[in-house]
Formats: sequence, structure tokens, C-alpha cells
Amino acid sequence: MSYPFIQLTFLKSGLFTTIQDPGRRHLGGFGVPAGGWLDEKSALQANWLAGNHPYTPLLEITIQGPKIRFSGSVQIAITGADISPKLNEQPVPRYQTIRVSQGDVLSFGRLNQGCRAYLAIRGKWKVEKELGSYSLLFRGKIQPTQRGFINNNSQILIESKPSIQQRNIEPKDQLVINNPQTIRVLPGPEFDWFSREEIGQFFSYHYQLSTDSNRMGCRLEGHPLTRDSGVELISSGVIPGTVQIVNNGQPVILLADAQTTGGYPRFVNVMSEDMDKVAQLKPGDKLRFQLVPLVK
Amino acid sequence: MNPTFLPFGDRAVLINFPQEIDETINQQVILLSQKIEDQHWPEIETLIPAYCSLTVCFHFRKTTYAKMKEKIADLISQIETESVTSFNRIVKVPVCYGGRYGPDLEEISQQKELSESEIIRLHTGQDFRVYMLGFLPGFAYMGKLPEALQVSRKQTPRLKVAAGSVGLAGFQTGIYPSEAPGGWQIIGRTPLELFSPEKETPFLFQPGDLVRFYAIEEADFRSWE
Repeated sequence: MSYPFIQLTFLKSGLFTTIQDPGRRHLGGFGVPAGGWLDEKSALQANWLAGNHPYTPLLEITIQGPKIRFSGSVQIAITGADISPKLNEQPVPRYQTIRVSQGDVLSFGRLNQGCRAYLAIRGKWKVEKELGSYSLLFRGKIQPTQRGFINNNSQILIESKPSIQQRNIEPKDQLVINNPQTIRVLPGPEFDWFSREEIGQFFSYHYQLSTDSNRMGCRLEGHPLTRDSGVELISSGVIPGTVQIVNNGQPVILLADAQTTGGYPRFVNVMSEDMDKVAQLKPGDKLRFQLVPLVK
Repeated sequence: MNPTFLPFGDRAVLINFPQEIDETINQQVILLSQKIEDQHWPEIETLIPAYCSLTVCFHFRKTTYAKMKEKIADLISQIETESVTSFNRIVKVPVCYGGRYGPDLEEISQQKELSESEIIRLHTGQDFRVYMLGFLPGFAYMGKLPEALQVSRKQTPRLKVAAGSVGLAGFQTGIYPSEAPGGWQIIGRTPLELFSPEKETPFLFQPGDLVRFYAIEEADFRSWE
């Protein structure tokens, strides 16, 4: 039994729109970034609202949304950042199953909170995997025509499925943004390369997300950390959530598209549970770090 | 084998060997990495062997640092009783040196007071070990370069280095598998594909390989299949 195919035509790509799924975590030893959605909770919620399998590919939309025309009737859902979604220029709610019809145009407006929105579309996506994942494979430089990257000419084909009953997510389970946001961290391998005083400063000041942040990492601006020892780290593994202190003393939180090895001290690591919060920081947002002990 | 264990966030174990760039130490890193891989432990996400460390990433909802550490320590105690034999593949890599493919060769030649052909002779004259992969998918860090070839990275990194570019940085030599920004000094280019995600074996190199460079002419480079 087959169902009608729906075509999505991108009239505008948005600032940085990509196809994502859980990513490919198994190839770190070959220098392949993990990739995958940055805000896992919002992504899983979107696919649930659309009645999809949790690992169905979906769109990650950053700061400025795309403009998409649908060729047929299909159910969709939008979660994560509030980028004022509109259907045929009329506001549509986030965090619920929505029905779009043939010729409808979905667009976005002002960013009210967060940084990344997720758009799930009910059905089977006719897109191809690369190294076991539908996520954009970051290999040093984004090529506008590469798989998983949405440009102004992109089209996506989706085989629709029978409709589901409308689903909702309660306000208490929706994205909440605090400013400043508190991010919990654990000591990293080179934590003790820094003096007690410097460590104290790191946890007492706020940091601000810089504009040159992307899916590789959140660059922060604030109190620079200095260290006495001139010891250089021999390149070693890094993972999403690692906070490196780079040469100007500023911290960088590595994200899913970061490289897999590095030579900067790995000062602290963000708790895995708090990575979704990091994903929703936009340039200019403030955060502070809170040190927590490792639960063995 | 007597490495140190360090917690690395709530989803990884860092296993540090003596912090030196040394073939024997690196061989131990690779051996341990392979042994862990052979166990097919379902809680492991990925292994990142580096010069003298191994990062073991695990599913944070499935296990804990303490449990992982114990499991790996157990495994290490078994390795010590086995006889360790190492096997390293030899990978031959054609390179068109200098000219448009190696824009930094001339400057290095002046800086080091060595002729270009002498630099090529040194670069093709020994096997280099792949110590680790990182930086970009399929990027191999190889070494160690003889003193005469050791140069620092470019002051201002290039915004665009072509795929296949062969570079020098400190004691290391490496090849860009895809176009990327980068600061390595570029001396040549290989026509080989180092990373092809669509192939069954997507990566040309693996840690522990021995790489033997050889010089080819521009005409050979252009007609390479």
C-alpha cells in the first residue's frame, strides 16, 4: 500500500537549515564529527507530535526560518525556538500537530526565544543516509549543494502516511529559556592546569555567546582564564560538551559538528542533560557555569 | 600497559598513556582501542585513539564512568599476559610536489636553505606513521618529520585548502581529505581520495598505518584515475 508523495519546495532556505537525526557517533576515531540534532528533547518532541519514529529525519532551523511550499496535505509539528511560525501568513501554534494543505506556505518571522527550532513532517522522507545517518556530514566546509543542507533550490520528497489524532505538548514540557542560563559542568581532564583563583573566577562571572558560534561550537566572551604552566597538550580526543580554553583564554563549548581531537586544555565538560540548553543559546545570550561532582 | 584513567564528562573515559609522541606508546593506544572494539560492548559509542591517549565514549544513560573504567581495567590486565604482535599496513601515496599544487614549497626551501628536490627527497625518503585521525573526516596525523622539514603553521591560516593537499606542521605531515580552511604549510597534492563516505571502506588511512610518499609529475596527477 502506498500513500501520496508530498513535495516540499524551499522558496527561502533560512539562515542555516539542515536535515538532522541522532547523528553518527561511531566514527570518532576516523575524525568524523558526531553530527545530529543539537536539542535532542525538542527534536524528539517534534517527531512524536508528527506521529513519526523518533529517529525520522527532521529540519533544524537556526535563528531565521525557511519559507516552504507544500504540494499536498500532510501533518507537521514545530518545537524548540520560537521563530514566529506562520502558515499562509497567519500565526500557527508550536508544540502541536498541525495539518497543512496543498499549496500552503509555511514561513517564519521574528525570533522570540531560543536559537533552534525543529520541524517534523509526518511520513517517510525520501532522503539518503551518509555513513549511517541522515544528518548533514560536516567535513571542514559546508558546500551549499551537499546532502542534508537546505539551499534556496532545495526540494524534499516525503511519502505521506495515514493521519493521526492531533497531539499536544503541555506548556510545562515546552522550551524554557532563562537569561542568564545556568549550565552544569563536570571537571575536565585538564581542570587542574588552572589555579584555584582562576577556577573561582570562571564560576563567578557570566559569559556571553559570541556571534561566530555555529554547530561546531559556542564561542564565549567573558573573563579570560590564564594558566601558569606553559605545558602544551598533545592532541587528544574531544567530545560534544567539552569546554576548551583557547589561546586568548576564552572558553569554547564544543557541539555536535566539532572536530574529534584537539590540543587546547579540556577545562570542564557540560553535563549531557544540559546540552539541549546549550543548543538554544543564541549570540548575545548570557550563561553561567555551575560545577557539579561526577556521580559514580 | 599501565595507563591512567580520568573522567571525561559524564559520557567518556580518558585513558592517558605516558604523554609523549612515541611509536611504542602509540602502538599500545591502538592495540587497546582494537581490543575494546573487539568486545562489541553495546554501551560504547565511539573510541578516539590519539597520540598517547584513548577516549572511550559511552552512552550516558546505559552505564557510568566507574563501571566503564572497571571493565576496561579488567581487559587491560588480560592483554598484559598475551603476546603482543603488531602489524602495520603500508600505504603508498603519490604526490605532485611544488608549483600550483604545493604553494609553500618554495618558501620552505628558502627558509630551510634546502633545495626543493632535497625537501622532496626527505619527504619521500622514509615511512611515516599514522599516529591518529582527527581534525577532518579521514585526516591522518603522520610523523615524525626529520628536523629539516619541521616548520611552524602559517601565521594566517588559508580560508581554503584544496582536497588532497599535503601539508607540514611542526613534526607532523598530513593530507587534507576535503576542502577546508587550514594553517598547514602545503608542499604538494595527491590525486588519491582519502575520504569517500559512499564507499564500503570510506577511509584510506587507519591509525598505525605506515605511509610511503612518492613523487609524481603534474601530467600523471592530471590523468590519475
